[in-house]
Amino acid sequence: MRQPPFRVIFEQRAETPRRLSALVPLVSVLAALVAGGLFLTATGYSALETYSHMLDDGFLTYRGITETLGLSTVLICTGIAAAFSFQMNLYNIGGEGQLYLGMIGGAWAGLALGPHLPSFVMIPLVLLIGAVAGALWIFVPAIARARLGASEIVTTLLLTYIGANLVKHFINTPGSFFLTEDSGFPQGRNVAESASLSPIGNTRLYPTFFVIVILAMFLYWLVKRTEFGYRIQVIADSPRAAHYAGVNADKTTVAVMLISGALAGLGGATLIVGPFARLDQGITLLGYGYAGIVVAALARNNFAGIIVSGILFAGLRVGGDKLQISSDTPKHIGIILQGAILLFALGGEAFRRYRVRVVRLKVAAQ
Amino acid sequence: MNSNIWLLSVADSVAIATTLILAALGALFTERSGVLNLGIEGMLLTSAITSFLVADGTGSIWLGLVLGIFLGVVLAGIHALLTVVLRANQIVSGLALVIFGTGLANFLGKPAEGRTVRTVIEPIDLGPLTDIPLVGPVVFGQDPVTYATLVIAVLASLYLFRTRSGLEVRATGDDPATVDSQGLSVSSIRIRYTMLGGALVGLGGSFHMLAQSAAWHQESTTAGIGWIALSLVVFAGWRPLRLIFGAILFGFTLQLPFTLQAEQITFIPSALLPMLPYLATLIALIVLSRPSRRNLLGAPRALGTPFVRDER
Repeated sequence: MRQPPFRVIFEQRAETPRRLSALVPLVSVLAALVAGGLFLTATGYSALETYSHMLDDGFLTYRGITETLGLSTVLICTGIAAAFSFQMNLYNIGGEGQLYLGMIGGAWAGLALGPHLPSFVMIPLVLLIGAVAGALWIFVPAIARARLGASEIVTTLLLTYIGANLVKHFINTPGSFFLTEDSGFPQGRNVAESASLSPIGNTRLYPTFFVIVILAMFLYWLVKRTEFGYRIQVIADSPRAAHYAGVNADKTTVAVMLISGALAGLGGATLIVGPFARLDQGITLLGYGYAGIVVAALARNNFAGIIVSGILFAGLRVGGDKLQISSDTPKHIGIILQGAILLFALGGEAFRRYRVRVVRLKVAAQ
Repeated sequence: MNSNIWLLSVADSVAIATTLILAALGALFTERSGVLNLGIEGMLLTSAITSFLVADGTGSIWLGLVLGIFLGVVLAGIHALLTVVLRANQIVSGLALVIFGTGLANFLGKPAEGRTVRTVIEPIDLGPLTDIPLVGPVVFGQDPVTYATLVIAVLASLYLFRTRSGLEVRATGDDPATVDSQGLSVSSIRIRYTMLGGALVGLGGSFHMLAQSAAWHQESTTAGIGWIALSLVVFAGWRPLRLIFGAILFGFTLQLPFTLQAEQITFIPSALLPMLPYLATLIALIVLSRPSRRNLLGAPRALGTPFVRDER
């Protein structure tokens, strides 16, 4: 077989230049926008008009930016959930399912306990029970991974489907505790008033946004500045070194996965105290949990960066969804752009980690 | 009990199973070479709408199938480029494909929303054979792609376990370093089988559109079959022949709620039944994860890990 006359060589960089770390996500976003623009033009839509509508409706108007920040609440939450496990090379991709469980747990608390307790107890309680439900949903994968080495990728994914069916079961079973009797079709019952917050002013932004942002900052500190965070880094970088240093990797694995599940469950609970206020099987179509993985990946699992990428992706969703009112471009361009940004970011990541060189090979003498 | 409803339900399971087998075979080949592609659902959707638009525009089913397969290969190629050549994280790349493919399919599908495709894949007319009571509709009432799929699954099994190339694929998934030391290119094998997987998934998506759904309804066109296919591969222990039985079982539980509803059987919580195959897969996975029983599970040992020669 003939060899090609050149070879691409990847040299691992000893140290990543700081400017590259910031440049790669920026360039990926730009590249995705350019590619999306070409795609729009090729399919007969105006790229400029589409983008200016999306920018306005997602970021620049008061209504748009508040809705974006509102939606970013749950995306940041599932984003930090994914990042928390990914940073230790544990791939909890079942944040979606843990989010459903958080919603079920939160709705249960809001319906069963809400009528008896005041708001200042109920709101934290709903969030807490949602987080516990999310953690419970990842308990089996966590133990199976730590004790038996069972792939958490597959187990957490399988549990997402079981979770989705559980939501459908609670909504479609006549006489279910979660159902309202006031509606002709199966619909969740609204939680007690003490268990739901009002949005800020006349917007769709709930105070939970600030709680989640503070939580993300707290995790940033936890990972960078505490002994627990250091342990995670050591296990992630070199499991063998961690073992010889006497770090209990199994225990940390379980702890990290449970926290990851709890964060995703918390995301589900923010929907109960916020925009949904009831268990809704529509959640199984929104993909907030999967979106969290994307948000985390764009921010390279940096908790402060996740706040930014969470808001960016929320804005793309909000601006995209509004397209069906503001223009005739299909709203799905927003979703295409999210996928494209991530694909470009993944490609760019190689240039951040490796020095890529193309070397000419000498043609061997005949 | 109306036996016709149950017969139809089994016949339906076989038909749903065809899409599942094709998608799962695609995932299986990809994973056997050591690459995990979670993007199946996005690829299925993109292939489905491509085959719809082409078949509807040109009136040719075969052209629809071919271009549907092509789109599957293109998306798988992106995954291969990112994960094998550029060594990106396979999980994240797969999920990016799901999002990208779903968006692309819905964008292109906007003009087709709710419409039925002009031409569909018809069942083969085997005359009197189809009229045989009980087995007739199930065994002889299917379309050519369904029969072809069963043949493909059998061939895939022979290829993987009885040929040298099949051995190379399995070795690449289990122990890439050894394959490398034999002078074979791990990257080249992984790229080729990821794209072959894409072709099978593309065929599955196109078939699902042109034989099963016939009408385009955004995401609900494939209704999560791509994700089910990924679980099915685990359920089948990464073996093509077991896929056939697994797919029929998964297909049966998928449409069981509708059958139970038609039969007005209400004492079984029908929404919980579709959970059972996932639960069974989960339990099997955990039980077989003990190191002593790992070989029974059959998971490729290097699944999801990029191969980097100089970092060994």
